[in-house]
Amino acid sequence: MPRNLRIRVDHDVCVGNAMCEAIAPKVFQLNDNRQSEAVDPGAETLEKILEAAENCPVSAIFVEDADTGEQLFP
Amino acid sequence: MSAELQDNLFAPEVIANPYDYYGRVREQDPVRWNKAYELWLITRYEDLVWLTRHHELFSSAVFRNDPRPAYPPIDESDLGLYEYVRNYQADQFIQHDRPEHLEMRRVMHSYFTPKSMEAWRPFVQKAIKELLDEAEEKGGMDVMRDLATPLPVLVIAQMMGVHEDERRYVRQLAEKLLYIGRGEYDRMKPLTEGMRGMIEYVSPLVDERLVKPGDDFISVLADGERRGIFSRHQVLVNTSLLLLAGHETTINLICNGTLAFLRHPGQWELFKTDPDGLAKTATEECLRYDSPVISIQRLATQDVEMRGKTLRAKDRIRWFISAANRDPEKFAEPDKFDITRWPNPHVAFGNGVHHCLGATLARVEGQEVFKALAERFPRLQLESEEFEYQPSITFRSLKALPVTWQ
Repeated sequence: MPRNLRIRVDHDVCVGNAMCEAIAPKVFQLNDNRQSEAVDPGAETLEKILEAAENCPVSAIFVEDADTGEQLFP
Repeated sequence: MSAELQDNLFAPEVIANPYDYYGRVREQDPVRWNKAYELWLITRYEDLVWLTRHHELFSSAVFRNDPRPAYPPIDESDLGLYEYVRNYQADQFIQHDRPEHLEMRRVMHSYFTPKSMEAWRPFVQKAIKELLDEAEEKGGMDVMRDLATPLPVLVIAQMMGVHEDERRYVRQLAEKLLYIGRGEYDRMKPLTEGMRGMIEYVSPLVDERLVKPGDDFISVLADGERRGIFSRHQVLVNTSLLLLAGHETTINLICNGTLAFLRHPGQWELFKTDPDGLAKTATEECLRYDSPVISIQRLATQDVEMRGKTLRAKDRIRWFISAANRDPEKFAEPDKFDITRWPNPHVAFGNGVHHCLGATLARVEGQEVFKALAERFPRLQLESEEFEYQPSITFRSLKALPVTWQ
């Protein structure tokens, strides 16, 4: 079973660099304000999502296991 | 009244204090056509963020597509050299738009993640310690010459995997590359010497790394060549870009930040009570208060309306970090230097898809320098109250910053 993820993008921090969207486009999409939103947390592998989070230049992406609350990134 | 605003962006009073002039532009005529240099000035925070996030409307391919001459002007006999500079600069990944920009940036992006840059902190600390050891023996220093200029080159040379006995040569090249942001009539000669020197020096290193890759960033770029994303010229130019971009801007962060501290003794005293705890917010405030970069240029790709003005396709546009970071609509008491300011959503590193690749490295270098100065030289003071800046509208660069601690 793939994990059930909760992904948060901090919009006070997000600069719209869009690298997350390039790495995991089914999960991260830019909104009208050109900031990233996690639109569908289950649409890419955990590995891709963590890669996107790690490549955020301003560390705006937070990932946790929605069932256990375990923090997966950072 | 906008009629009171003059148009000479290189006037001595504008170079000395851009905050006064661009602050008045921001209040009186925030999207302003500058006739003298034929460009739009974008000065409000909100507009800057909007513009940088709409990269499809504002092209970064400036050197390739802007046919207008160099400004400030150069010697007429150097026009051939300027063509060389244009062709060189045009191959930088930051001078590209999507989709090429994304493909090129992705080659380098994961080298510069916050986590991987954090791993460089001990190296940065050691480099600062060695430079300050040398300075301490002399009893005073020029922060510019003795700390801010050598530090980033030590760090970048290590990232490039430069052999220790070649660092001095790389530093000489790096100092020639700094002429890109200067205003002297005859700046093209040293600048092109630096560019040609980089091409000659780095090309054999790329050949080496193609055969035997390491964990340095020339290997990263060489891999981009192997995968057909970069031409050889692009690999060389982007190596040179990383050397320059990480140099000038870091120099300015260190010097402008140190100056801000020493001109605000209360904030310096506060910082010394807890350098470790305050280094992060203080560095962000240095980045906001007297930003290393004043403004960045774009070219409109189509007609765009901003605040009732029509920016025409191909118009030159400059967005002013120095004005946006002092915008009272975004920052309370924007002209106050407050090292505890938080949140501090300044735009010193730009915004959008071109947000500075080296931002985390710059932050680490700034934090460690300010901490080291506070811990080692608590009685640091300015040797003079007179400061001169390079005549640039791109970089906020002091010419020197002599200090003592006697």
